[in-house]
Amino acid sequence: MNTTRRQFTIGALMAAAAGTTPMLVQAQSGKTIAVLFDGLYSEFWVAGMQIIKDEMKKRGYAVLEGISDKDDSKQFEQVRAMIARKVDGIIIVQTDSKAVIPAIRAANRANIPMVHFNRPPAESDAYSVAVVADNQTIAREAVLHSCRTAKQAGGKFKAAILIGNLGDPNAIQRRDGFQEAVSQFSDTIEVVARIPTEWNSDKAFAGLTNALQANPDINFLFTSSDFLIPQITQALKSANKWAPIGDPKHVIFTGFDGFPTAYELMEQKYMDACGVQNLFFETKLAIDAIIQMQEGKKPEKVLLDPGFAITQANMMEKREEMWGYTLLKQKKSG
Amino acid sequence: MLVSEAVSRRAEREAGRSRWKAAARFILSEYLVLALCVLYTLVMIPFVPEIATVEVWQNILSDMMPLLIVCLGQTIVLIIAGIDLSVTAIISLASVVGASIMTQSDGYLSGPLAAPAAMAAMLLVGAGIGLLNGLSITRLNMPAFMVTLATTNFFGGSAIWYTTFHSTTTSIYDLPDMFISIGDRDIAGIPIAVVIAVAAALIVHGVLAYTILGRWLYAVGKNPRTAYVSGVPVRTTILSAFILSGMLAALASIVYTARLQTGTPILGERILLDVIGAVVIGGTSLFGGKGKVIWTVFGVLFLVLIDTTLKLLGASLFVIYVIKGSVILAAALLDTLRTRYLGVR
Repeated sequence: MNTTRRQFTIGALMAAAAGTTPMLVQAQSGKTIAVLFDGLYSEFWVAGMQIIKDEMKKRGYAVLEGISDKDDSKQFEQVRAMIARKVDGIIIVQTDSKAVIPAIRAANRANIPMVHFNRPPAESDAYSVAVVADNQTIAREAVLHSCRTAKQAGGKFKAAILIGNLGDPNAIQRRDGFQEAVSQFSDTIEVVARIPTEWNSDKAFAGLTNALQANPDINFLFTSSDFLIPQITQALKSANKWAPIGDPKHVIFTGFDGFPTAYELMEQKYMDACGVQNLFFETKLAIDAIIQMQEGKKPEKVLLDPGFAITQANMMEKREEMWGYTLLKQKKSG
Repeated sequence: MLVSEAVSRRAEREAGRSRWKAAARFILSEYLVLALCVLYTLVMIPFVPEIATVEVWQNILSDMMPLLIVCLGQTIVLIIAGIDLSVTAIISLASVVGASIMTQSDGYLSGPLAAPAAMAAMLLVGAGIGLLNGLSITRLNMPAFMVTLATTNFFGGSAIWYTTFHSTTTSIYDLPDMFISIGDRDIAGIPIAVVIAVAAALIVHGVLAYTILGRWLYAVGKNPRTAYVSGVPVRTTILSAFILSGMLAALASIVYTARLQTGTPILGERILLDVIGAVVIGGTSLFGGKGKVIWTVFGVLFLVLIDTTLKLLGASLFVIYVIKGSVILAAALLDTLRTRYLGVR
């Protein structure tokens, strides 16, 4: 019997489809978790995504990832796609705390557990669990250490704060934590620059450069996130203010997040203190919450990571809990 | 024997030529993209079985609607050989202006008139920016690309600035139920967003196919000088195209904002490539004078279909960008080839 080219092509396609189907069925027989981030803009989010994926795989889950690139509308579509895919849970990092609410409602309707990783949604009647760091307390404790350092040094200090995106409650809490701390030292510290960054490194660099030109005597700085450290370093170097602790030109510098670079700067005595989010603990809380919700339990709507402040005084005893130090150690050991 | 061989060779050559003609006809057919959608769906079924479910197609339809509305406006502008990059800024600014008027947390208006007034204001924002674009192009002879790029930056920034006066965060929430219903309710089983998008598509189709303005738009796109000599009011036509594009972007903003139940100044910030890509994939020419609403519908469907399958597969953002970028590039290349070699303009 002669086989035409068309018959051969159709046959080959059908055979390929038939061959692929069992593999797909096998891949879909286990449980699947969707991990939807709004971006991988810093080491914190890259590390967070990786730790979640590793931990989920360790527990036997398949992971589907989605990045919305700070597009709330796209993230809503991603959530609906994952609901259609019938995933067993969604771990999400949204851009806007309010715009995510329709997505939570959609997950509620489909009875799919949703956990917000590190960024809480706005108050609503929709049910989801948020794992968040106690941003305000952590920021306050870290800045308090720097305030005490300033007080001990004597004299007046001019402070600047790099503020995050105000649609992100974390950014607001960190700003408030900073404010709480400096207001206790109003005789020593005056805040002369509040720089909005919208979590954008270019805006942060331009804003800090302008602030340093307008107020050349700025000598106290808090960044709401360590991912801005390269821009801060550059701006301070340009203003001839990049100097280690002990140098008269040193700017008392407080970070937030606990990045590997933050640990390096602390080690090199350029940074005085850093508020640290316990990324490993937050990951564990998020995964445990998803599993509890799958079992029909209803965890608290907010699960708190108390975090901690790492300072020049407690660095050696606290660094093992700092995710940035752990990553740095792993990197160095190859 | 020799004669029969020559005859059979000639028949083969003719068959070959007719196959090429059929292929060319298929590539030039307005249903090419629809055929590709069907083919793509069939190919993806083994990899993403969910693509064959009603739920996924409901999602595709719902995701298509606001994008389709913006694309309708872009189709009109591309027909006159222009481009409107400001649609994203119009979506953002209209979103926060509308939300600030109707929010139940210190909005400018309350009661049953708040939502209609806010929607009217959103459409006015779109028409206003469209008017500004059109006037800059027709009166100052500035290139559409430059004008709309500048207005994108200006009004995109203004949206963020405007929000700071109306919210302590970066978005405006607590919108009235009447407005939110656009994003999540039906009329006789058909989502309201679908009704709005279909109505907009029918109106734009009517304008393009059956009105004098439609004929002027195509004439200006094909050759503005010839159109002018023939008595077409070129400036008014260009102005109308940009105003329509602005209003349709604002209408899309209404659907996007209702869907998210939030007015946000970054709404639509990232959809520009999707907008232009979908219109070009559909077959509307970047060189002007050619475009149809149905082509844009198919283009949007194809792009959303690709996007949805990649989401279902859990593909990374970078893969999605690469694939969508490649498809849009291929569509633009096809448009160039059609225009240059096949003389189908």
